[in-house]
Amino acid sequence: MNQIARAGVVLCIALAVVLGAVYLVRALSDFGDAASNNSSLSFSDREVAGGNGIVADQQAVYEAQGIIPRNARYRVVTGSLPKNATSLTLPFIESWYRYFLMPRRTAADARWIICYGCDVSKLGGAYVIAWQDDQGISIGRLQ
Amino acid sequence: MSVHAIAGLAALNLLLLAVGAGILFGLRGWASWGELLCFSGVAYMLGVAATGVVWVLDVAVGIPFGLPAILGTAAALISCASLIGYGKGHRLPPCRLERPRVPRLSLVGGVFAAATIVYLEGAFRAARLAGLYEFDAWAFWVPKAKAIYYFGGFDEQFFRELINQSYPPLVPLLEAAAFHFMGSPDVVTLHVQFWFLFVGFIAAVVGLLSRRVQPIFVWPPLVLMLVTPQVVGHLYQPTADFLLDELFVIAALFIALWLIERNDWQLVAAGLVLAAAMLTKREGYAFAASVVVAALVVTTRERRAVWPRLIAVGVVAAAATLPWRVLLALRHLGGGGPEAGGTGLFANLGRAWPSLRLALTTLFDYDIWLLVAPLLVVAILAAFAAGGRTLPLYASLIGIFAVAAFTYSTWAFPSLGISTNPALNPIIRLTGQLVLLTSALAPLLLARAWQKGSLESEET
Repeated sequence: MNQIARAGVVLCIALAVVLGAVYLVRALSDFGDAASNNSSLSFSDREVAGGNGIVADQQAVYEAQGIIPRNARYRVVTGSLPKNATSLTLPFIESWYRYFLMPRRTAADARWIICYGCDVSKLGGAYVIAWQDDQGISIGRLQ
Repeated sequence: MSVHAIAGLAALNLLLLAVGAGILFGLRGWASWGELLCFSGVAYMLGVAATGVVWVLDVAVGIPFGLPAILGTAAALISCASLIGYGKGHRLPPCRLERPRVPRLSLVGGVFAAATIVYLEGAFRAARLAGLYEFDAWAFWVPKAKAIYYFGGFDEQFFRELINQSYPPLVPLLEAAAFHFMGSPDVVTLHVQFWFLFVGFIAAVVGLLSRRVQPIFVWPPLVLMLVTPQVVGHLYQPTADFLLDELFVIAALFIALWLIERNDWQLVAAGLVLAAAMLTKREGYAFAASVVVAALVVTTRERRAVWPRLIAVGVVAAAATLPWRVLLALRHLGGGGPEAGGTGLFANLGRAWPSLRLALTTLFDYDIWLLVAPLLVVAILAAFAAGGRTLPLYASLIGIFAVAAFTYSTWAFPSLGISTNPALNPIIRLTGQLVLLTSALAPLLLARAWQKGSLESEET
């Protein structure tokens, strides 16, 4: 049995050494590729990261950050999808803004609004637009 | 994304190391500064575990989480552990201006250590500018951390609005601490914190094993684990999965070593790390139970003497999570139980076999984990064949319990697909537990298998 045990040990070590050597090269290559890809991104692409597949317009998130005061409350209202929207936009846009715009809080009756193709007539007041793009996204405040 | 942020993270991790060194002093002390150097990874992981557990307690009782709380907790832990250490007769070795005595590095150890350093350097470069793409990271782990950073605690509104409210808060607290040390909620550089954790884990495994096991048994399984595609692609993600696995593996290794050496400090350390594991992810409870029950089974013959201590470790570790569970109950937040637990399992009996099959095929999937799981199986069989009992049985039981837990995780959640698609089922992340465990237990098993004859006495 000892011979079998030792054969097993040799098998394990040999397998681990060979695979370790082969895949170490691959791992280093993968790390290098990831580092190159990351460094080739712009600051905003890197910061928005997963949100790039959700927000349709990257500028909107920075405008929201700049326009809505840090201690204010806001809400994201959706309607018809913006031009560059993806299948992820509608389901995740609110939760992504919640993550990104913190410490700003969300509230169902907030006066600050991030409108993704929303029907402004149903917002409950006069909507003063502070910023908008050509895709149907706007940021504004109810009077 | 700056040197300033990285320096801040380095400072935080030095603080965690200092806390861990204090706890190590309280638990066992060290005979030389070289020995402390060898145990620096162990100290670091103990520091992460201890500070994490106390941070959760701090915030659960309403202490605002900021730099004063972080530094105060560290100071309190170091002071208490030092007092305990002095009380137990531990003393610092003399400080002399000479080179600390560290064990000589063999050729095998040197080659593998160099390869590991190159690997970690590559991982650091990849982590340094990584964006936050993982859904779980931006959907709740990091938002919780940002909420703690901005509001100094478990903000009622954000913790209610975010998904997975019942997930334990150790990782968000660690991330919030990282934000404080970086000076801003820098979610890009945050990835480097998880690189630090991984480095600490590797150093801990090597530190715990290198004095007992020859380098040829320590390094190959470790390097094999490092180069698996899943580890390479995810080791620095700012989610809780890897930290849970790292803490679990260190705890399992502490208990494995305790089974062999019976140094009680190993058991206390295991309890501390298990508490942190349970405060990292809900699966931590199942993982901790699997380790404790496995240890109970292999010590059946000495149950009168041993079981009370092992059970105490499990109970005390679980008790450390009570403040968090009480807070969840007070806020009427979901406990996070399974969708179809208990009798619900019988209503979903049709999912049992597919769930088991998914767990096993994922664990043995070459494209995900290479041959790490088969290596663990062969190492266990070889240790049994060489006449071993305690270690191979312990490892086998943990493996069986782990597969049962993986199966349950799919079976009891009917909303999860029977799939390895990470968007549909977390099974790949779960199976990482056994893969990381292999890097810690396989060296012990292989060393045991290499010994001649029945050497039960050496195991105990």
